[in-house]
Amino acid sequence: MSTVEALYIFDEHNTPLLEHSYVGRPPASSTLLPLYLSHAAPRPSLIYLPNTNPATLLYSVIQDQLLFLCPCSSDTEPLQVLEFLHRVADVLEDFLGSPLLASKIEAHYDVVAQLLNEMVDGGIIACTEPNALRDVVDAPNFIKSLLGGVGLPSSTPSSLTPSATPFSLASRPSPRLGPTNTPQATSSVPWRRANVRHTSNEMYVDIVETLEVTLSPSGRPLSAIANGTVAFTAKVSGVPDLILQLGCPGGVQNAVALPVFHPCVRLNRWKERPGELSFVPPDGRFVLAGYEVDLLGPAALDAFSTSASAKSSPKLNIPATVSVHPSLGPSASDFEVRLQLNPRFTGKSPAPNSSSTGGKGGLGRGISGAGFSSSGTTAAPAIEEMAVHIPLPVGVRNIADLRVLKGNGDASYSPGDRSIEWHISSREISLLMSQDRGGGVGATATLRGTVIGQEDETAESEPAPFATGTYDYDDEQTPSQQEKTKTEPRKIDYAKRNKVLMPSCATVSFSVKGWLASGIKVESLNLDHKRSKGLGSGVTPYKGVKYLCVSRRGVEARC
Amino acid sequence: MESISRISSLLETARDLTLEAANNANNARRSTPKELPSGQLKKLLDSRSEREILEGLRRVVTMSYRQPPSQTLPFFSHVIKNVASPSLAVKKLVYIYLLQHAEHEPDTALLSINTIQKSLTDTNPHLRALALRVMSSIRVPVISQIVSLGIKRGAGDMSPLVRRAAALAIPKCYRLDPNTEPQLLEYLSTLLGDKQYFVAGAAVAAFLELCPDRLDLLHPHYRSLVQKLVDMDEWGQLATLRLMMVYARKCFPRRTRKVQKTPHSNTTSSKPTKSTKGFYDTESDSEEEEEKEQNMEEIAVLDPDLELLLKSCQPLLQSRNAAVVVAVARTYLYLGTPEYLIQAVGPLVSLLRSAGDIQHIALHNIVQVCLTHPEPFVKYYTHFLVRSTDAPHIWRLKLELLTLIFPYAQLRLQSLILAELSHFSHSGSLDPTLVKESVRAIGRCSQSPATSPQTSARCLRLLLKHIGSADGHLVAESLEVIRHLIQRNPSAHRTTVVRLAKHLDAATSPQARASIIWLVGEFAGLDSENNIAADVLRILVKGFADEAEPAKLQIVLLAAKVYIHHLNANPPPEPSKTEEPKASPPLLDSYHEEEGGFRDENLEAHSQPTESHQPEKPHPIKALYDYILLLARYDTSYDLRDRTRVYKALLATPTSTQLASLLLLAPKPVPHIPSPSETRKGYVLGSASLVIGDEGGVGGLRGYDDLPRWVKEGDEPDAALRDETVSTSASTYDSARTISAADRLDAAAGSSRTPDSIMSPRSLNGVGESSVGVSASKGKEKTLDDWLAEESGSEEETDEDEEEETDEEESEYETESESGGEGDRLVK
Repeated sequence: MSTVEALYIFDEHNTPLLEHSYVGRPPASSTLLPLYLSHAAPRPSLIYLPNTNPATLLYSVIQDQLLFLCPCSSDTEPLQVLEFLHRVADVLEDFLGSPLLASKIEAHYDVVAQLLNEMVDGGIIACTEPNALRDVVDAPNFIKSLLGGVGLPSSTPSSLTPSATPFSLASRPSPRLGPTNTPQATSSVPWRRANVRHTSNEMYVDIVETLEVTLSPSGRPLSAIANGTVAFTAKVSGVPDLILQLGCPGGVQNAVALPVFHPCVRLNRWKERPGELSFVPPDGRFVLAGYEVDLLGPAALDAFSTSASAKSSPKLNIPATVSVHPSLGPSASDFEVRLQLNPRFTGKSPAPNSSSTGGKGGLGRGISGAGFSSSGTTAAPAIEEMAVHIPLPVGVRNIADLRVLKGNGDASYSPGDRSIEWHISSREISLLMSQDRGGGVGATATLRGTVIGQEDETAESEPAPFATGTYDYDDEQTPSQQEKTKTEPRKIDYAKRNKVLMPSCATVSFSVKGWLASGIKVESLNLDHKRSKGLGSGVTPYKGVKYLCVSRRGVEARC
Repeated sequence: MESISRISSLLETARDLTLEAANNANNARRSTPKELPSGQLKKLLDSRSEREILEGLRRVVTMSYRQPPSQTLPFFSHVIKNVASPSLAVKKLVYIYLLQHAEHEPDTALLSINTIQKSLTDTNPHLRALALRVMSSIRVPVISQIVSLGIKRGAGDMSPLVRRAAALAIPKCYRLDPNTEPQLLEYLSTLLGDKQYFVAGAAVAAFLELCPDRLDLLHPHYRSLVQKLVDMDEWGQLATLRLMMVYARKCFPRRTRKVQKTPHSNTTSSKPTKSTKGFYDTESDSEEEEEKEQNMEEIAVLDPDLELLLKSCQPLLQSRNAAVVVAVARTYLYLGTPEYLIQAVGPLVSLLRSAGDIQHIALHNIVQVCLTHPEPFVKYYTHFLVRSTDAPHIWRLKLELLTLIFPYAQLRLQSLILAELSHFSHSGSLDPTLVKESVRAIGRCSQSPATSPQTSARCLRLLLKHIGSADGHLVAESLEVIRHLIQRNPSAHRTTVVRLAKHLDAATSPQARASIIWLVGEFAGLDSENNIAADVLRILVKGFADEAEPAKLQIVLLAAKVYIHHLNANPPPEPSKTEEPKASPPLLDSYHEEEGGFRDENLEAHSQPTESHQPEKPHPIKALYDYILLLARYDTSYDLRDRTRVYKALLATPTSTQLASLLLLAPKPVPHIPSPSETRKGYVLGSASLVIGDEGGVGGLRGYDDLPRWVKEGDEPDAALRDETVSTSASTYDSARTISAADRLDAAAGSSRTPDSIMSPRSLNGVGESSVGVSASKGKEKTLDDWLAEESGSEEETDEDEEEETDEEESEYETESESGGEGDRLVK
């Protein structure tokens, strides 16, 4: 019943990077990989392989282009294994630095091996908290130098017990006087490392929202959900006790639905006062909370059908929407994709406002590094990485005459592709925006193309498009009549056949810095000095807030 | 919840990533240490300098990950002798090597046992835990007794780290030598009662591995485990929830109480209750009988101990771990009442926010819950809308969910779902299977018993619209579903068949035509006064040569059916004919009566119309039939010719049609399309068998445990077992509970104040020092939240003084570390 029998990691070219078996005799990675690859392309995360001995359940996760495989010979809870694989990726990234690259693993097998041994013991998942692991495994040195001396200073190989070094002795305010002098190497809070020390104390809140919007052919939003994640970076000495106050027009409790929290968050506090997160953070970077916001509100369904007109549909405030108009032109083989940009958002401004602030006045970005302040502020959020993606049916052989009618951008399609990509750079967006600044309706851009179906199909159906419309064996019918009946439905048939070739949807990708679809803001981030321990009284950590709204093909319009 | 690595990939722009990747590819690939010749490597390992040994070990470990063990095995003795090194870093690497290679050289490996054993008594708890873990992981059966002793020692260790290592070593020791089980059980039962939540979690995991059936060991620990559930780490929570599901099923009989149904609860609560009952329908027949009383409703009466479990699960619904959320949902589904389950629905849906791999498994679990309790899912419909980016295994489940909630949705939502399905059915040219599935989904929507006739008719209209489409898949699949719908209620759909027959002019897909022709044939016997079958046949015969094979087959079949109906209606006069009507099925009998007027007088007059060459023209149906037979006889298809021959033989003698009617006019069973996941309904929520389905064997995958039945009333272990032990060892557990994460935090935070009393090993061992300062007085059920919420003011007074002290000290360190930092910078 052991959960994790082995862990295999492959790099982006599927060459084995690491093979670590925990318990039993799991099939080797060389037998599993071909079986995994033989599955059709969007591979499910759990594959059953009856042909191995013993029959194996194969779990897979792809993270940072690395493939993590985990075989199991007996029934286990699938989510447990998958969550574990994600944690392995998180931990490796925490120790080896982000992004996780094959070369980093190769260069630090000794660290990885220690981590893997600590995380799973005899097939049972033991410990996956990065902070707890930092207590027992030393991160590779280059990370330490990067973080500016973070980490336990006990990595000197000569010291058997960390407490023996004068430094760590000193780090304990009151040396223990008990009968057994057990050094407190373990942390008292399971998710926080012991004896955290930072020379510069910093706290950063990153709120990322991922949009998932579905628009009906009429342009009415069917569903609009923003999936939010609050990522937190704590580099604060001692044991800080923090209060993060989130605010939202209309109240957090009304907006935020189905929240999940890191174990450090006090649930009762949230229940009593929604929007207030009180917690003792782990050291380093972690996900504090996740939530979702229904941008349409609860009454969306009622509004959907009471009024037929699109105007009364719930207003959706997102940076860009798209609409597809198929079956245009004389032979109904043209289609048009219109991109509508919200005037509130600008493209990359020529002179970036470097002193970008998030939320309220006090929460300026402490250090203007991190490559954030280059564009996009709360005052004037900017759209970046705009791309429209139009998937095409299988039958489409080529797209003729693909051109951007209005606006600009770079639409690319090569024969045989299953989709059209239309990229618009942020500079082009700002150009577009400036053109109709006066109207206030925002800018539109249009892409038009003509589909060409399979050649052989038309050729085949040409001689006898209809089997029954004509009565070939009927002598009474005159040939002329026959012709008539033949040609007329054929036109309709073209339209019909081209309809099959029409794209059925288009999706928009973009990212907007400094703006959140839900309107959630960080109102305050305070350190409770009374409760926090180990931080000097006069020390106030730097605070920084960053908002990011992302759509990864998340805004989808149908037709 | 999204994992941090996924979020950071969003936050860091693609450009940064690629830059760093390129950088790294350049640097690190080159910088990976080149492999040294083995002689040099051995020299490094044998060196006196620790730095060199460490370097040598790093290289060996790296080698062991890149090459087969035969390459690294020669260094075995060189590596192992470093096990006695005083350096922790060296030890760790030696241990890693040892674990990987011990099996290949068990004898040499044994040499190291002694040194490892010594480490068990080291002052550093990390080292003790490490040594215990390594020793138990060496797969050499000889040492099982030593390991067992080590576990015994570890179980009594004062450091929770070591106790946890001991708990995890128990199943490993059992695997080495099953004879050690009695001793191991003893250690395990001590560890199960450990007051440290993360020791208890590990102990539960070990218990599940070692002896999942020895529930008797659990009674005394049940309540403390349940109370510790919130503070355990996520993996401990998973193990505990898994264990508790079995425990509760075997120890708390399902008691029910009958109450008068309240009118309000009719729609919301009574239905789920019933369906839950249906789900466990095998459990007791008496319950089934009771349910027959209409206005009485059964309400589960929960054992207080069971309720304790259900209540303590609630905070876990906000867990970041998807597996924990599903485990809680499982607990509520199989142990709790519908009211509890409803709380779990939202968190289950929230799992759809996570990565695609987790989404897939979560959807399977959602479908499983939705099959029995669809109503609470209705309001989350927006999450189930299919997106163009979804992978096939995802949209398949989403479509199923939409159809499952469809009957319970309000009208507007129903029309939205139908619009959604029809969108995918005709624009789904992206993926033919999506078309197929969405058409089937429309069929399921209209089939569901809860769907109103109007909605059903609407579904049918939707499907009929598809018939003219140029998309072959769509038409074929639509007709398939239409056929099912018609067969469910043939009499109501007579006109539909006529409509379909008209579509024969437009439908081009051979499959679609075949389907329509078959349907016409099935209805050839109904209402023969104005049946269109013969006429359709007449038209089809004209184009017979241009038809595709599937359609031809059906045309021949239609001809045979029409002909046999004709024969049954107008039996040729024969001496033996009197017996015929009796033999023919009753259905046909009735037509026989009605259709008297249809009878051809001419034919009746002649004894053998087929064979005698009469000057009169034969009946048109007969003529058509003969013509078809003639055409088919010269067809290129073997299959068609063979079938034609069969029909010809069957209907050779017009006087005896019994066999033919038996074959051709047999009543067809009404098809029922179950929801695709119906077949998996029997599997337990959260199991891998649920995801794999019957593909993994009928009884589930290897190692799959079915849900145990509820224990029968009277067979359950005495509830006092749980009470009694708690009361006798109350002091132990009280103090155990007080030292939860909260108190540890307290201890750490206020370590300057009362470090000894809280962290002293004596209290850790649970000797019952209930006077542990502030924390003990706060009652037993304190969790982390409570503690931090109600941090008492009295404490703060004393804080103030000591805080200053701490601050002073702190500032000292501050400067020190700062200078250290400066030093670092200088170095850089």
